[in-house]
Amino acid sequence: MDTYLIPGLDGIAYGLLLAIAAAGLTLAFGAGGVLNLAHGTLIAAGGYVAATTSTGTWPSLAAAVTAATVVGAAGGGVLAAATARLRGRGHLDQALLTFGIALIGADLLTTVFGADIRRPRLPAALDTTLTIAGHPYPADRLAALTAAVIITTIGYAVLHRTRAGRLIRATVDDRHMVAGIGVNPRAVDTTVLVVSGALAGLAGALCTPILGVGPATAPTTLLLSLVIVVCGGLGSVPGAVVAAIGVGLVQTIGVITIPALAPYLLLSAMALLLLTRRRPLPGMPG
Amino acid sequence: MTRLRSRLRRGLASATAAAALLTAAACAGAPADPDAVRIGLLVSLSGTYATVGQDMQAGFRLYLDSHGGRLGGRKVDLVVGDEGDGPATAVPAAQKLLERDRVVALTGLVGGATVDKVQVLTTARKVPLLGANARPAFTSEGGKPRDLTYTWHTSYNSDEPGIAIADHVKSQVGDGAVYAIGPDYQGGWDELRGFTDTFTRLGGKLANPDGKALFTPFPATENFLPYLNKAAETKPEAVYTFYAGAAAVAFVKQYAQSDLKDVPLYAAGFLTEGSVLTAQGPAATGIRNVLNYSPTLSNAANQAFIAAWSAAGNSSPPTTFAMASYDAAAVLDRALAGVAGDVTGPKLNEAIGKVGRVTSPRGDWQFEPTEHRPVQRWYLREVRADGPVLSNVLVQDLTTLPAT
Amino acid sequence: MTARLPLPHRWDDLRRWVPWLLPLGAATTLAAASDGYWPATVARMLPLALLAVSVATVTGAAGLPTLGQVAPYAAGAYTTARLAMAGHTLAPVHLTAAALAGAFTAGLLGMLLVRHRGTVVLMLSLAVAELTTITATQWRTVSGGTDGLAGIPAPHLLPGTPPLTADRPVLLYATAVTVAATAATMLLLHRHHLLLTAVRGNETRAAASGHPVTTYLWLVHTGAGAIAGTAGALLIHTHRWITPADVGFDTAALALLAAVIGGTHSPPGAAVAAVLVLGVRDVAAADWPGHAPLLLGALFVAAVYLLPGGLTAALTRLRAEIRRVRATRRPEPLPAASRRTS
Repeated sequence: MDTYLIPGLDGIAYGLLLAIAAAGLTLAFGAGGVLNLAHGTLIAAGGYVAATTSTGTWPSLAAAVTAATVVGAAGGGVLAAATARLRGRGHLDQALLTFGIALIGADLLTTVFGADIRRPRLPAALDTTLTIAGHPYPADRLAALTAAVIITTIGYAVLHRTRAGRLIRATVDDRHMVAGIGVNPRAVDTTVLVVSGALAGLAGALCTPILGVGPATAPTTLLLSLVIVVCGGLGSVPGAVVAAIGVGLVQTIGVITIPALAPYLLLSAMALLLLTRRRPLPGMPG
Repeated sequence: MTRLRSRLRRGLASATAAAALLTAAACAGAPADPDAVRIGLLVSLSGTYATVGQDMQAGFRLYLDSHGGRLGGRKVDLVVGDEGDGPATAVPAAQKLLERDRVVALTGLVGGATVDKVQVLTTARKVPLLGANARPAFTSEGGKPRDLTYTWHTSYNSDEPGIAIADHVKSQVGDGAVYAIGPDYQGGWDELRGFTDTFTRLGGKLANPDGKALFTPFPATENFLPYLNKAAETKPEAVYTFYAGAAAVAFVKQYAQSDLKDVPLYAAGFLTEGSVLTAQGPAATGIRNVLNYSPTLSNAANQAFIAAWSAAGNSSPPTTFAMASYDAAAVLDRALAGVAGDVTGPKLNEAIGKVGRVTSPRGDWQFEPTEHRPVQRWYLREVRADGPVLSNVLVQDLTTLPAT
Repeated sequence: MTARLPLPHRWDDLRRWVPWLLPLGAATTLAAASDGYWPATVARMLPLALLAVSVATVTGAAGLPTLGQVAPYAAGAYTTARLAMAGHTLAPVHLTAAALAGAFTAGLLGMLLVRHRGTVVLMLSLAVAELTTITATQWRTVSGGTDGLAGIPAPHLLPGTPPLTADRPVLLYATAVTVAATAATMLLLHRHHLLLTAVRGNETRAAASGHPVTTYLWLVHTGAGAIAGTAGALLIHTHRWITPADVGFDTAALALLAAVIGGTHSPPGAAVAAVLVLGVRDVAAADWPGHAPLLLGALFVAAVYLLPGGLTAALTRLRAEIRRVRATRRPEPLPAASRRTS
């Protein structure tokens, strides 16, 4: 039991961090209708901004997180403008466009910030390790876990208690009906993509202290977010959270329990889930 | 109708632009200066290995610039190609350097897989390959062992760091067990094999449950905490590892936050070499690692190298990657001076073989006659504060490899 | 596009092939006439072109967007590599064995994949692509580990002929195989065009009419797997080396995106687009080292905006525009024979 305590906690922490990133992607797909392959680049952009803004003090940390969120939101706006003209042309064209934007964005990020791995300087209080049940555990991960829980709760409240949130959930279920009740679907799309970008930037800012940010951040986080979004159900934020925790646990407990199959675990789990699914994914025919 | 026309115009415009781009690319093969010697530098300038590639380019250019753009008294036209992440992008770039630019020597090459593939090309064209980083164990080609006549390296064999430090680790742990962990790819397999083979031959024990090193999925693993905590359960006396790049940063930071934080960590020097050390910060303090270079070496060549390096605007100390490329330029300098008349691949290759003892920031070395790689000293370094910054400070000499 | 069989006695339909044969012929002539760089470079692009044909077949004709054709591609490639390294170097043997290996792999995977649609099949195929690389990396006895295999012996066209090592013969051979495989694909797809359109258009109605929809899709998937396997053999014949990274997500993504740029319902378009994509990545970007991703991304963005529907659609619009211009210039009524619309 003891061997699984820290990996379990770690898995949940890691998972919730990924959940914030994946929530943005699932909203973009479900409500915005956009298969956004530039999501990883937005996360990396948020990470780079946070890493360069944070100087080790608490105010600079707050500024770093805010700046990252704003940059992510701006990126979401760019994507909204870019994909607005692609309405009705299918997901493959969107994939082509967003993949192209992701490549351009990745090159720009490396040109501006360099190819080194960046880590932000954290306040001294977060750079320590705490002891949980006799085992050390990094404080920055606990802080990120707390932040993730708070954000998830706020996100849930927004989605289920505010009108805007209800409109977003309604758009996931039935776009045409939302247009029918007088809400401009373009406005919903743009809002959703901007929010999705903001969540991506925020996730990037929260992930950089733990994982660092570099040229490999964008493709890695994109793949993980896609896996989570697909397993959780396209457009379903609670599904994304649950799937993210699942992914976190597979990557922590799974890899040490079955080390021989470690490289195959995550994708096989995703494939198995897709193959055995009974209900169709929301937004998909049949 | 007009919408169709405008779309048509745009389509034609894009097609013309593409054609123009490709034609421009096709015409770019004209030489700038017919008397200049063309040298090709193929390094990673994009992708996961970009920092190493940029370091290598900086090292080569430093030597070139400090010698007035001339090697062996001849003007040099340096053509740079992007190796990218592996052979898929590196081989086309190498082909362009060899066949369009007609370089007389090819240097650089970050990745082992790239060297493995490009070596076949350069040998077939009789152009010397002067690698300055990875050197794989060349697999046989069509049943015959690889022809290394045109293949030289100024760096090391991937298993040498492990071989060099195994004796020291054995003396430190005595009868205790060592846990070996590394990334799951050829580079990781080679580095760890060098250590585990030598260590067990000296009578050492591995703490790993099945007696074999643990390999973590590469490059997917960024969270090492589960592996480290599992390793701590075997109660090792020390841990030996090899990681590079982003994985090295994550590993070192998480090592200091895991159950293993009080267990001594030994590593191949790449774990703390270059910009990764800046990202790791104080978590790296105390790591003892092995490499063929340390910025704190006190020989005259190193003093000059470091002075020139910082004068060129580099804020952090030079790395072994930059140093090996610097040495490659030095080797070409000596070799080109020894070529009479027109420079061709075979003549240059013969001259490289006659270079003899090379004065280098790492200490003096020379090429091993059959394997064409350096016979050099390996150093034990420790991450300590060197003034205001952390650096890999020289602790002691370990051994000279390959052992003669 | 109308569903007419491109039989030679209909000149109108033969003209439809000209836009594709023309660039192929031009590329071959250019490459064969110049120095060693161009033949070698173009020859190296053709395996991905054929893979893109396979992907376009499944994505367009079967309506299943897929990243998973790298699995039969890998099967064909490693079968060829291992046969060559074991001493069996006849090219026809390689091609046949690779096609069979590819068809077998695609057949197995197809049983899982063709029951799903849309984004689900895309994500499943993504898993297949990643798992292909991982399997190749772990299966060291076949693949040689992450560094892969190098120095694979060159093939012989027939017993007694010299090995295909020189750049120009390799280019001509690769072009011949690519054109033949693409032509075979086109003929088979045209023959069953109406059936596949019906299945794609309204699956429920087709199934209700008694058609075994899943079987049709499985057949298309398996046939495309044979093409992908042949592309794998071509990879070994043109490169004579292979690493697990060559059969993973990056290759799959490039093939799918090339298929989208070419026009998903046009396999030859996918082949041309693949050559264009690799041309930008490997040739145009060579003079701007380190920024190949930027140029490639710019190409994709430009293709989405400037070529909606892909190269095929652009060509159709071009032809329609030319015809319209010609029609407006002629004041008298058109003769009956040329009143056919595109």
